[in-house]
Amino acid sequence: MSTGKIAIVGAGPSGCFLAQSLLKAAPELEVDLIDRLPVPYGLVRYGVAADHQGTKAVARQFARVFDRQGAEFHGNVTLGADVTLEALQGAYDAVVLAAGLSNDRPLDVPGAALPGVWGAGLITRALYDHPDAGTLPDLGPRPLIVGNGNVAIDLLRLLAKQPEELEGSDLGPVATDWLTQSGIEEITITGRSPAAQAKFDTVMIKELAKLSGVTIHVEGAGSSEDAAEAKKIEAVLALNGHATGPRRVTFRFGLAPLAVEGDDHVTGMRFKTDAGEETLPCTSVLTAIGFCADGQLPRDALLARAQDIEAGVLAPGLYATGWFRRGPRGTIPENRADAQALASRILADLTPDPAKPGRAVLADLDARVDYAGWTRIDAHETATAPEGRVRAKIARREEMLRRAREEES
Amino acid sequence: MKITILYGTETGNAEMLAEDIQSELENDHEVDCLNLSDMGAGDFDPSRFYLLVCSTYGDGELPASAQPFAEAVAAEKPDLSAIKFAIFGLGDSEYEETFNFGPKTLAELMQAQGATQIGERIAHDASGPDMAEDLAFPWAEAVISEAAEAMGEDA
Repeated sequence: MSTGKIAIVGAGPSGCFLAQSLLKAAPELEVDLIDRLPVPYGLVRYGVAADHQGTKAVARQFARVFDRQGAEFHGNVTLGADVTLEALQGAYDAVVLAAGLSNDRPLDVPGAALPGVWGAGLITRALYDHPDAGTLPDLGPRPLIVGNGNVAIDLLRLLAKQPEELEGSDLGPVATDWLTQSGIEEITITGRSPAAQAKFDTVMIKELAKLSGVTIHVEGAGSSEDAAEAKKIEAVLALNGHATGPRRVTFRFGLAPLAVEGDDHVTGMRFKTDAGEETLPCTSVLTAIGFCADGQLPRDALLARAQDIEAGVLAPGLYATGWFRRGPRGTIPENRADAQALASRILADLTPDPAKPGRAVLADLDARVDYAGWTRIDAHETATAPEGRVRAKIARREEMLRRAREEES
Repeated sequence: MKITILYGTETGNAEMLAEDIQSELENDHEVDCLNLSDMGAGDFDPSRFYLLVCSTYGDGELPASAQPFAEAVAAEKPDLSAIKFAIFGLGDSEYEETFNFGPKTLAELMQAQGATQIGERIAHDASGPDMAEDLAFPWAEAVISEAAEAMGEDA
């Protein structure tokens, strides 16, 4: 017998870890994961880099949440369009918003709207075959990356890689061709902070020492008395002079963006530095300066009147977790800890109302994809993986839906 | 045999493997499964065989759930000379410089207090083709029979 009905909006890592935790503590709960995409796992599928398959291994835990712990997946269901938040709140004892933050935080300087300025999320979604992504743009021979987080490093690494370095990834043929034929001669990566305070993880920097077709220069890494900061600087400096090929990679620090230069297209980026101002010529600007909400949910309003935002309580029976609550900071395990804490809170608060219909509120949505539908997509993608790839991702929503509905023969 | 599986985890992958090993073994053995975060430095029992499952996180560090345990062992220096353990590592060879440093650190810590390691330290590679359990189940079976011999018990 059910002891409560819980809907989680967003089947990414935070939502899946929350469902895992809830069902571990209370296996008889009805837990439904709702996602606007026909496929689960969110950031693990579309944000974790295609060449970081080890990081994607958490998906094996998430698969068990559905096939052993009894959570249900309701994919291709958009909150607001297919079902309202109010309807979910009426149908479930608790509703949790775990929708993440998927839009690129815009660069707030003059010229940021010029053609040739692209958000990192926009580029990576296209690289990772997200169904809502546009086509990959021409970056020209000298792209400049603004930002020093792990997303910026992911982008740098992928742009810098040689085709054979993409072996074992799940990068699709379109993205592979785009990278192979990019014609990139030089990639500059700029951070607002000194290297000591850069947001990237040291291990992400060390990984760059494996790049086989680049010549890396590090300028102005500075120094620090702090042990952790010194370690970070040391890792960056260890890359200086790494010369395995012709594609130049330049690290610059302490550059605060002032303006994107150009008349009808990007030609450079002007920065404020300790020494004054400096303009770096480039053929495109890639911004990797964080993420914000996509506007499909009234996040700001919900957070502003939250009952206890630290605990993830927005209102009685309405919760938030992961990036949607915390903002765009923290790795997958940090959000796991967040989800585990929220699970305890939800279970403590829960007062099940047997009259609530739960998942029946979704029953009329004919285009829904369930977990069995996802397993058919997954099986097709892994079975059709070409040589050197672990998966052939289906990029188009219509094809996902078709594969999901195909009966197993 | 009385077995305790101790896991150190950051993303939950090591926890999942530890639970899988427990399910695999519990028909033939009396098996506990415990997060290292719930294990005190003085909690070891010489009548039990310890199977450690541990990942690596960040720049070659121990995973979060193993860190308080490691600090406690280093501070309290318990006498583990009667303790036998085996260790299985979860790692990712993308990060080759620090591949499986977590379990290495943990094994050295146990040995420094006199504990005896049974078998080799095995490492699963998340970027490789194998499933962790496909390596871990035969490993567990092998170290248990070796430990049974060493501890004078029937496996």
